[in-house]
Amino acid sequence: MNTTAIRKQMSIHPEVMDLLNNQIAMEMKASASYLAMASWCDQRELLNSKAFFYKQAEEEREHAMKIFTFINDNGGGAVSPDVIDVNNDFESLRSVYETGLEQEIAVTESIFKIFKASRKESDYITEVFLQWFITEQSEEEDTFRSILDLFDLMEGMPLKMIDERLPKE
Amino acid sequence: MNFESDIENSYRIKQSTFCKYVLITPNKEVELNFPQMLELRRKINGLTTFQALNDIINNENFVLLFVADRQHLIYLDIPQLLKLKKEIELFFLDFNPVLV
Repeated sequence: MNTTAIRKQMSIHPEVMDLLNNQIAMEMKASASYLAMASWCDQRELLNSKAFFYKQAEEEREHAMKIFTFINDNGGGAVSPDVIDVNNDFESLRSVYETGLEQEIAVTESIFKIFKASRKESDYITEVFLQWFITEQSEEEDTFRSILDLFDLMEGMPLKMIDERLPKE
Repeated sequence: MNFESDIENSYRIKQSTFCKYVLITPNKEVELNFPQMLELRRKINGLTTFQALNDIINNENFVLLFVADRQHLIYLDIPQLLKLKKEIELFFLDFNPVLV
């Protein structure tokens, strides 16, 4: 086997690295978006929801950092992203959670895309690395779906009462 | 007469040592390490999207690009930019080990 110069410098495929860098941007945008949601809830004294979204914002940043260090540890170049166009305006608590679920689904789909690309390029290091993210995304989506189910079950109840039954993390 | 061949012969990348590369431009040779190569690739990819190329064509029609941790400044018009993109693509295409 003739190992190429690039392969000696980095263990992950350059095009997969580009997708991972896009994923960092997506996770950081998600983190900023959750922070906006946390602020919306905090201003309305929705204590459990605000705690939930502050925690989500931290988690998304941790995900971004995990990918960031993974890229650099494998010889690539991680890029600190621009975070722009964060929505701070919501119409209801339910719509905040619905936006959260949509965001999580978009993140999951994006990870699937990188997973497929890494498999196509025989980049098994990234493929194995992403397995944790796939499990994590499945849990995240489930959390949001369960919360939205609660909204349906408690339809018509005062907002504060719904909030008190929502998870903090 | 030799405009195209000038472009074809310039903007080449060669490996000098294990972790040193040389970018050959019409005016100078720029030594790059691997992280600097990755940064150059990122910048060139950013400048050669459809939108970015349109913006360049509709404005100055050239770009000035810092390379090698801002130690060198290179001038690129559109054909040169595209040639450099092609060269970098070829360079990074060489990722997969070859079975011999």
